[in-house]
Amino acid sequence: MNNRHILSAAIGTLLALGLASGNVNAADKKMEMEKCFGIAKAGKNDCSSNKSAHSCAGQATKNNDPMDFVAVPKGTCDKIAGGSLAGSM
Amino acid sequence: MRTLNNVLSDLAHAIVHGHETPPDAQAVYPNYRVTTAMTVYRNNYRGNLHDTLACVYPVTEQLVGKDFFRMMTRQFIGQHFSCSGNLHHYGAEMAAFIAGFTPAQGLAYLPDVVALEWACHCAYFAPDAATLDINKLSRIPPGHYPDLILLIHPACHVVRSRYPITAIWHAHQPNAPGEFHIDLDSGPCIALASRMNDVIHVSELAEADAAWLLSIQAGTPLGTATDATQKQYPDFDLQAALINLASKNVLTDFNLGAAP
Amino acid sequence: MDKPATHALPCTAGIGLRAPHYREVLETLPKLGWVEVHSENFFGGGAPLHTLLRVREHYSISLHGVGMGLASAAPLAEDHLSALHRLCDAVQPAAVSEHLCWNSAVGMVINDLLPFPYTHEALSHVTSRIEQVQEKLGCQLLVENLSSYLSFSHSEMSEGEFLAELTRRTGCGILFDVENLYVNARNLGVDAGAFIRAIPAEAVKEYHLAGYGIMDGCLVDTHGAPVCPEVWDLYELALRHIGPRPTLIEWDTDIPELPTLLGEATKAQQYMERYHADIE
Repeated sequence: MNNRHILSAAIGTLLALGLASGNVNAADKKMEMEKCFGIAKAGKNDCSSNKSAHSCAGQATKNNDPMDFVAVPKGTCDKIAGGSLAGSM
Repeated sequence: MRTLNNVLSDLAHAIVHGHETPPDAQAVYPNYRVTTAMTVYRNNYRGNLHDTLACVYPVTEQLVGKDFFRMMTRQFIGQHFSCSGNLHHYGAEMAAFIAGFTPAQGLAYLPDVVALEWACHCAYFAPDAATLDINKLSRIPPGHYPDLILLIHPACHVVRSRYPITAIWHAHQPNAPGEFHIDLDSGPCIALASRMNDVIHVSELAEADAAWLLSIQAGTPLGTATDATQKQYPDFDLQAALINLASKNVLTDFNLGAAP
Repeated sequence: MDKPATHALPCTAGIGLRAPHYREVLETLPKLGWVEVHSENFFGGGAPLHTLLRVREHYSISLHGVGMGLASAAPLAEDHLSALHRLCDAVQPAAVSEHLCWNSAVGMVINDLLPFPYTHEALSHVTSRIEQVQEKLGCQLLVENLSSYLSFSHSEMSEGEFLAELTRRTGCGILFDVENLYVNARNLGVDAGAFIRAIPAEAVKEYHLAGYGIMDGCLVDTHGAPVCPEVWDLYELALRHIGPRPTLIEWDTDIPELPTLLGEATKAQQYMERYHADIE
């Protein structure tokens, strides 16, 4: 039936392409990992240094009591159109 | 003498909830009093949890700015204590918290961005899984294709939003150009977080592909899942979906379920 | 290549390996016998574990846990212990250590290293927990003395006596953090010499050295500064009484460039060698 035909065609194409991420060549894989380490140095990404949250040192000498009057977001949200109005959408 | 459990319980309340320091702790030390020690422990407690949240939610922190983010995490930490010695488990409730956080109400898309960041965080630490073995697949007789149970990588997560959260996420990555302009009216999106060569990828899924993927993820055999998706979305293109998801390392393995 | 057996940390200086240095260490392969990492950062799969396995191809690994909470009154978290077990299987570490502290009570986890009273009750409790961990992991656990900012009036023994008894009862080893002892001596008036005499030398398998910060008169174990002269002196005292052991430079906050860290390790190495020269 139609469904079987679609499955055969789809998987057939997958097989023909030999497509699986395991087939990504070693150089690409290495480059991607290097990229990951590179970013780790900048320390700002999902594959970064700052994922290493566990430490046996504390944060005690830093001020962890922010002032409460900072009640307005002041970040890149300014660049998102309608960002502050979106609640009324 | 009080039991260990009583002493530790009172100390925990003193650190987390600011209760009085239990009398078991000595009051005076050569260079400070016990109140200083408790300040150190309270600072450590909050500081470690804040840093954890800042690690998990870097896009959110950029969106609202460091000061606002710190104020937000302080409130969150006051309402949600940690439940694990592994800090990677901390912060799951952030999206729900922000949805109800009045000062952030103006940013309606924020809870969905937070949910996507949590998905990326979980994807980053998810267990390893096999990559799809094409040779093994080629040995399956086509007659058995409808019975295939496809296994989805544990790093694969789908997040739906009324807002363009993938564009927002990409605009805040370290390699993104600094300038961007995102129009919230550009419509809803379904974000897919996946992991390939240890790197987290965020991409968009079509509605039909997402429906099919969720069905497969629930363990539905390939034939049944495809049928159901095609009924609901006549334009569903299985071939394109399979190629797309295989290339993103979403499919890891398969079995023939209960079929002979 | 054969993997070093458990508890075969080379008797040299190592460094605490943190994410900002992964790349540089893997690219330059500095001359180091071993590195130590925080176990929990490698729970799960993906980039952290794979990076550690690459490091493992060049260095012996010491897994240093910060989240087990050996002295918590609540039962040990099975999932945490299982995750550590899986990590040990994958990495085949040369040492596995945890802190002599608690982190959980009344259903809450406080992700810190917290002190408790050294009572007989606590001793039997921690003894059974260490036995549980060692049985699960199938290897000796090293237990680290704690830097503490307060002490308890009803403690029945010193931390050194407590640790000595733990090693006798469980066969665990001791990770002697020299800076923690220094912090306790300054903060709590602990007798550092008595601590060194109290712990059995043969049970000590590793030293830690680090720098501290100060808040309102209280020394805080920040691991954010060079090792201070007084801690080097105390290290020398330990070398004399206990002997040289694998020695780690720990640096966790305001992490410096790798050469600074390696410089501290070289200094530790020189102390160890000077000790060897002294006894020859």
